[in-house]
Amino acid sequence: MTTTKPQIKIVNTTTGEEIVRDANPEEIAQIELDATNAAAKQAEATAKAAQRRAILDHLKITEEEARILLGGN
Amino acid sequence: MATGRIGVTPTLGVRWSKAPTGGTTALSGLDDSSVSLVYSVGYEQVYRNGVLLSRGNDYTATTGTTITLIDATITGDIIEVFAQQLVPLADAISKGQFTAKGTLLSATAASTPGVLGVGANGTVLTAASGQATGLEWATPSSGGMTLISTTSASASAAINLTSIPQTYNELYVYIRNCKPANDGGELRLRLNNDTGTSYQHLYWGNETSTAQTFTGTSLQLMEGNDNSVATGFTWLRLPDYTNATTWKTTTSVAVTVDATTTTSFRSRFNVGVYNQITAISQLNFFMSSGNITSGDFLLYGVK
Repeated sequence: MTTTKPQIKIVNTTTGEEIVRDANPEEIAQIELDATNAAAKQAEATAKAAQRRAILDHLKITEEEARILLGGN
Repeated sequence: MATGRIGVTPTLGVRWSKAPTGGTTALSGLDDSSVSLVYSVGYEQVYRNGVLLSRGNDYTATTGTTITLIDATITGDIIEVFAQQLVPLADAISKGQFTAKGTLLSATAASTPGVLGVGANGTVLTAASGQATGLEWATPSSGGMTLISTTSASASAAINLTSIPQTYNELYVYIRNCKPANDGGELRLRLNNDTGTSYQHLYWGNETSTAQTFTGTSLQLMEGNDNSVATGFTWLRLPDYTNATTWKTTTSVAVTVDATTTTSFRSRFNVGVYNQITAISQLNFFMSSGNITSGDFLLYGVK
């Protein structure tokens, strides 16, 4: 049977013992939370990029011109 | 040539042979083979043309370096001296000086032997001018990096390196060929599997003069990485990870394959901070979302 649960690889670096096991409910919850946070961060970055684009369009300048204007690299 | 055994009076054998000019009575110095005439008085044998001479009747030998013939040589005579030079017992090495297993003899000054006992297991012998014998046993300095473990990801939701030995000064992790299952996935790190808001990171260019708070629940090591090309590389440094009195810092440098244009790259120089004081015994790697499809995680300890 193929497992659908996330797999956690754990290595005891002192003994060299290596095990792979299904993520437990707590770990699955954390994985989902991390994914949600990452998606939120990505959405925020996308929104900021759109906002920046809109401002540039409003000013009728390019990103390069904006960088020159603001003295950035 | 010195001969003899430990515990038995040793001797030094000398064969001195010369064809002196006619009329010679005093024999000394170098022979025809550049061997010096040295003997212990009473232990020499003097031959003239193969005939053993009589001590006191045919020659005198009292100095240890000169032999005086009663009858002077004539041209063509061959004088040979077989000398046994005794080495004083006080100058010999005694087996009694080896008082225990591993005992070494070493001079405490010129012609002055001293004894150095064996050191502790694993120690090495080093020069030490302040010590009587000029030597001492010392713990070898072991610099360099020791590979502690190598772990390959394979559709892994997380790579947890646990029970990290607490015997190093710092840790390095090399992460080779790591790629996410989800395009744009970012490799992240937690310490001691701590999922709290204990982290914050600054990356190159994000200079700030305002106080920062700990708001992150992990440290971002990579920028978003392509999920098909795995030529990226990240290294991570975690100094003084065993101390249990300070917050911890990490530095990492990553180059990743751009998720949109795989011939382009993204890089990240990251300074991570962690607001717990416990020693670090676990490193927990995971992607911002989805699995780590592949990648090798090489953990090194540095002394």
